[in-house]
Amino acid sequence: MAEESFLADDFLRQLMSVGEVDLLVGVPTYNNASTLGQTLYSVEETLRHNFVRQRAVILNVDGGSADETRQLFVQSGEGRDANHKGLTSLRTTHRISCEYGMAPSHGLALHHIVAAADLLRAKACVVISPTTTNLTPSWVVNLLRPVYSESLDFVAPLYARTRFQGLLARDLLYPMSRAIFGQRIREIYCEEWGFSGRLASQCLEKDVWREEAVRARPEAWMAITAIGGGLKCGQAFLGPKIAPPTGTDIVEIIRQTVGNFFWCMETNQAQWLGRSNSQPVPTFGPDHELSLDGIPPSQEKIFELFRSGVSELEPILALILSQDTHAHIKAIALSDRSEFHFLTDLWVKTLYEFSASYHHAVLNRDHLVQALVPLYRGRLCSLLLEHADSSAEAMETQSEELCKEFERQKPYLVERWTVNR
Amino acid sequence: MLSQDENLWYKDAVIYQLHVRTFCDSNGDGVGDFRGLTSKLDYLQELGINAIWLLPFFPSPLRDDGYDIADYTSVHPAYGSLQDFKDFLAAAHSRRLRVITEMVVNHTSDQHPWFQEARSSRENPKRDWYVWSDTDSRYQGVRIIFIDTEMSNWAWDPVSKSYYWHRFFSHQPDLNYDNPAVREAIWEVMKFWLDIGVDGFRLDAVPYLIERDGTSCENLPETHEVIRDFRKRIDLAYAGKMLLAEANQRPADVRSYFGNGDEFHMAFHFPLMPRMFLAVKLEDRKPIIEILEQTPQIPDTCQWCIFLRNHDELTLETVTDIERDYMYDEYAVDKAMRINLGIRRRLAPMMENDRRRVELLTGLLLSMPGTPIIYYGDEIGMGDNVYLGDRNGVRTPMQWNGGWNAGFSSADPERLYSPLISNPVYGYQAINVDSQTRSAHSLLSWTKSVIQTRNAFRVFSRGSIEFLNPSNHRVLAYVRCLGEEKVLVVNNLSSSAQAVELNLQSYKKHIPIEMFGRNLFPRVGDLPYLLTLGPYQFYWFRLRRI
Repeated sequence: MAEESFLADDFLRQLMSVGEVDLLVGVPTYNNASTLGQTLYSVEETLRHNFVRQRAVILNVDGGSADETRQLFVQSGEGRDANHKGLTSLRTTHRISCEYGMAPSHGLALHHIVAAADLLRAKACVVISPTTTNLTPSWVVNLLRPVYSESLDFVAPLYARTRFQGLLARDLLYPMSRAIFGQRIREIYCEEWGFSGRLASQCLEKDVWREEAVRARPEAWMAITAIGGGLKCGQAFLGPKIAPPTGTDIVEIIRQTVGNFFWCMETNQAQWLGRSNSQPVPTFGPDHELSLDGIPPSQEKIFELFRSGVSELEPILALILSQDTHAHIKAIALSDRSEFHFLTDLWVKTLYEFSASYHHAVLNRDHLVQALVPLYRGRLCSLLLEHADSSAEAMETQSEELCKEFERQKPYLVERWTVNR
Repeated sequence: MLSQDENLWYKDAVIYQLHVRTFCDSNGDGVGDFRGLTSKLDYLQELGINAIWLLPFFPSPLRDDGYDIADYTSVHPAYGSLQDFKDFLAAAHSRRLRVITEMVVNHTSDQHPWFQEARSSRENPKRDWYVWSDTDSRYQGVRIIFIDTEMSNWAWDPVSKSYYWHRFFSHQPDLNYDNPAVREAIWEVMKFWLDIGVDGFRLDAVPYLIERDGTSCENLPETHEVIRDFRKRIDLAYAGKMLLAEANQRPADVRSYFGNGDEFHMAFHFPLMPRMFLAVKLEDRKPIIEILEQTPQIPDTCQWCIFLRNHDELTLETVTDIERDYMYDEYAVDKAMRINLGIRRRLAPMMENDRRRVELLTGLLLSMPGTPIIYYGDEIGMGDNVYLGDRNGVRTPMQWNGGWNAGFSSADPERLYSPLISNPVYGYQAINVDSQTRSAHSLLSWTKSVIQTRNAFRVFSRGSIEFLNPSNHRVLAYVRCLGEEKVLVVNNLSSSAQAVELNLQSYKKHIPIEMFGRNLFPRVGDLPYLLTLGPYQFYWFRLRRI
């Protein structure tokens, strides 16, 4: 029996109408009618001013919006070939839209986008989030151009964040991914990124799209696939990102990101076990400051949640962590908040032991990842205490030190990873 | 006397544009002439065209290929005599071929006796036949058309020590149409040729007849008055004669030259031409649809004239900067191919000698609304020589055969008015009428067949057009309709095979009959009509309800 295709006939028909393109702009949506107009405006301005001659398609993949997002997408393109300055595009800018299901899914959305990129033989693609309220045409250009003109295969965004924004990325995902996979890409977990048609084709061929980790955060898997495949990666500075809170709690965020990262480590171990140190990647866009000043959040509740978590999860943590590391964590959990420190070397060792235990499947992997949440809170509290009055530069210096510590301790990870249990 | 319908002959015409000099030399002096042209009328009749548009053949210093006229009422001696012209005209009419001649009304040569008199003294009665000024600052801001050669629209006349106005070359002073005597003189010229039997005039450089301070000196209301006056006189005394406007402007501006059916019968649709080339290069119908959507309705008795290439550069004045840059980069990489705001190349070389693309463009030309003009030599895929200077590279001798001087002339090759195209790809040994006449599959044979098909269905010349806008933008599809006669045209603008679904619900139950092979295609039903097309392929279907 023929295998069922995940692409609907109507979607295929639309792709057939578009034919080969140079550029593909993917816009995953779910109830984004209120912000989609600005997103599309930025995309169209980008194409009109910067890619006049290129064949382009704007592809909307929708997770079953109930607010007429798709209708808005289609209608806003009608009769809008010329902007207010009367500048017209040379070609038809194709707009196509498909509904991949009745619930939002990053993985399904990206699966449709990469399939379209492959079928349309797109040279450069970008995914744009309609939830970003300050998206400007320069974002789209900065992500697309390195792929189209510089032949990069993956371009991550580089956002300007306040000192206390994006701490999960700053204190865990970036330094760890840099140490493990050897490339200094700050934001492999992102909502806007660029990629090549070549990478899309490679990703499409992989039979992982039903994996929970890929469904949750396909962009990071894509980045790691690019790095692992020796493709050219870079990052593009976009400036500050403003998006309304998603309402997703930290447990879910860690399940999605760290769970995805551990899964990528597992499935790409051949790529990184023998790799040491890290290399910078080309960075595009204007000169920039990555860290901006900001007000630290309150640490009291975070500290309490750390303390109670360490206590409640003691038997689970005992399975995951080495005796020494576990003992250290228990000890600091008992300390007074004013003297509390979750030191960098302990944090790195903790994460490496978590990832090795994930590899050895010492317990249900999802439970294992969730057990990291109180420890992350502890580390977060420590950072907030330590850097309440630090400058943005000091925070950056601390981040760099952390990255180096991850790289320094990597042999320890390899040792625990490869040991027979 | 012609019937009302026959008076509209220009709507059903397929016009062939040629220069007498380029076509056939009967006396071996290296220059084409009317006797030579007359000897080739059978060829033109067989081709299927039914009107000939002659480029200027009047006495002239030939500094602008004859558009610098020194005598409006005779024939340049190199092309023969007035009697030769009359003989040619009679022979053409006997083959039901109409003849359209040039009427260069905006300016004369500076060698014209009118100008010689005008410059001779400020008191000369003909002084006011041209536009003079003591300074060159009048009409400031008016654009210069020949930007490659002219720095100003004013030229200093050392004889009368003042400036004269010229919109084109400085040796072409503009006539002053504010002077009624000039209008009368030009009307006398028109009458001269109409009395001989010419079927129509192409009026050159129409928008520039009148000048006014503070304006662009283009398309002024007073210019329309002049045209209406000429038209009225023609309608009164010469029914069935046609006026064709050369106004290189956007369609909305050209529209005014049709007036209420009381100015020009026809006008060139300049902006459509570059957009057809754009569409094929971009593989996207957008440029064509866009310009036709901007094209206003015209009175029933009027018609657009459409063309692919002509004796001038492929003008890019009416495209956007972005489109112009793209056209240059794609069609004129070599800077020698560019002149003024355009490209001096012929059809076949622009299409890289790709027969499929030449056919596609010719198919578009013959199936879109308007009277098509075929430039001499394009029916056999002649090449060009961009190194000949000015626009002479697209005005080389017609290639009749692979023999001496391509069969154009018996003169020594060095004596020809222009070198022949002689390279291995486009040279006369490879591309010529004789060899293509022998092959049923040659471009010439194909062109004959497609013209024949067009001529057989009046819907092409007079029918309405409805674009189908299928979601595949590489496909340009439209239905031409005239009463019960309906034709579906589907063009694949791309270099790859395409599938397209057409919404033909308005033609449900009709049977598409392919017009060249006359094969039946499946009847139109409830579902979108699916067609597949090869690279650059096009279909013409009659839609019949049987």
